[in-house]
Amino acid sequence: MKKIIFFTIAALACFIMSQNAYAQHSMHIDVSEKQVGINTGFTGASFSVFGTTAHAGDIAIAIYGPPKDTTVRHKGQFLGMWMNKDSLSFYNVPAYYDIALSIPASQISDYETLLDNYIGLDSLEFRYRGRKSNEDKAARFREALIHNKQLAGHYPLAPRNIEFITEKFFRADFHVPSDVPTGRYSIKGFIFEDGVLTAQSAVSFDVAQVGLSARVFRFAYADSFIYSLLAIFMALIAGAGAHYTLRRD
Amino acid sequence: MEIYLPLAEMTVPAEAVMALGTGVGFLSGMFGVGGGFLTTPLLIFMGVPSAIAVGTQANQLVASSLSGVLGHWRRGNVDIKMALVMLTGSVFGSLIGVFLFKLMQHVGQIDFIIPFLYVVILSLMGGSMFWDSIKGLIWKKGPQKRSKAFYKTSILRYMPYRMKFPRSRLYISALLPAGIGFIGGILVAVLGIGGGFLMVPAMIYVLGMPILLVAGTSLLQIMLSSIVTTIMHAMANQSVDLVLAAFLIVGGVIGAQFGVRVGKHVKGIYARLILSAIFILISVRLGMQLFIEPSSLYEIEVML
Repeated sequence: MKKIIFFTIAALACFIMSQNAYAQHSMHIDVSEKQVGINTGFTGASFSVFGTTAHAGDIAIAIYGPPKDTTVRHKGQFLGMWMNKDSLSFYNVPAYYDIALSIPASQISDYETLLDNYIGLDSLEFRYRGRKSNEDKAARFREALIHNKQLAGHYPLAPRNIEFITEKFFRADFHVPSDVPTGRYSIKGFIFEDGVLTAQSAVSFDVAQVGLSARVFRFAYADSFIYSLLAIFMALIAGAGAHYTLRRD
Repeated sequence: MEIYLPLAEMTVPAEAVMALGTGVGFLSGMFGVGGGFLTTPLLIFMGVPSAIAVGTQANQLVASSLSGVLGHWRRGNVDIKMALVMLTGSVFGSLIGVFLFKLMQHVGQIDFIIPFLYVVILSLMGGSMFWDSIKGLIWKKGPQKRSKAFYKTSILRYMPYRMKFPRSRLYISALLPAGIGFIGGILVAVLGIGGGFLMVPAMIYVLGMPILLVAGTSLLQIMLSSIVTTIMHAMANQSVDLVLAAFLIVGGVIGAQFGVRVGKHVKGIYARLILSAIFILISVRLGMQLFIEPSSLYEIEVML
């Protein structure tokens, strides 16, 4: 139902914009969910990004999760046992990244332009603490970071499709897994005409815990002492309950 | 059914967590053990962050030790004063344990050290229990009569702050039970286990407490110290997940019902034999994990 309304609005917007003289080079995107709510039964979420353009062109949509400091650790052997031996911390790594393209990246524009606009995994800049001479190591750890993120479903293995509903109205479907990081996600849409970026548009949405889940989370951080007393109280009730139901001898 | 854990910020299969709680409850009902040695490694194995596993396990320990302590209480087999003196030590132990835990996390070795400590402790404990019960089976002897308590024959008897413990008929330095509690406190905070297996022999052989009082008193001290540890973990690390704890505790209550009934039909020596076999199996399983090359040599940790 939500999506139908959205389609109608988007189609209207598309119509209005096509009448507009400003729309010479322009695109607009919006997202189907302004908030992805994580509750106790959360198993991941799907959402769609819709957009309109004034002209036909090649579209790219990129989603960036909240930046987080991320440590990559490398295991080695110590007396035959595997333990972490080396590590590197990267700053402001997008906790989530995904991308949708209307045609393969190499046909959209040249590599440099794509990098400049943060399109594609290669464009993600990971700054790290450490000496410059360590670039070999940094490259290895960066690759491992991306690989691990891909395995977790937080980075894409391949770009998603952009589906054109009309020549100037498109959509892309995304999915986030259940352990998706909370925070603000920004979405950027780009339109390229003959390899030249002609317009872009941005929108954002929030991933947050809601309902019982959110209440437990907020409670644990805001009133951690009372929270712990509640946890203990629950345990005491259960422990006493177990004892008295067993007391038959 | 998948269930989202608000503090671990991840989804786990609810059935698996319930089954884990039930299994542990069964063991604690049958053998009178806390079961932390089973819950913590298995939770970590399911992908729950070790901090959440240990913190939540401390909370579940409150439930299992209370149901144990109530039984001993009814029979009057608890030395409250002794448990309280031990508690003073364990509060310090927990504080240091929570700090050690943070330190190990900081240097990125928590996922190595915790399984490693489990392997060492479980194999030593399982091995010695196994050996004892085999000996008992072969020679049909009960536990040997021990000679005098260690404290009476060593310099420990000259330690200061002597205190009377009327219930246990002891007049010993308060530092001894506090010291035992200290070690117990560290174990609860770092490993999420009550440490009864270590405290019980220490109370018998070091303090010379009457054997009848030992189980109830150590359980009371475990309950009190896991209460303190739960508070500290919740306040320092936000690592007590109520949703996870609820599933574990409910499972535990259900499992204990069966465990106690089955336990009544199993002779003590066979029970110890089974328990030691479980300890050895878990330590082998965890030990293998330390030695087998992991599928990915790199791991990532997203900082909050």
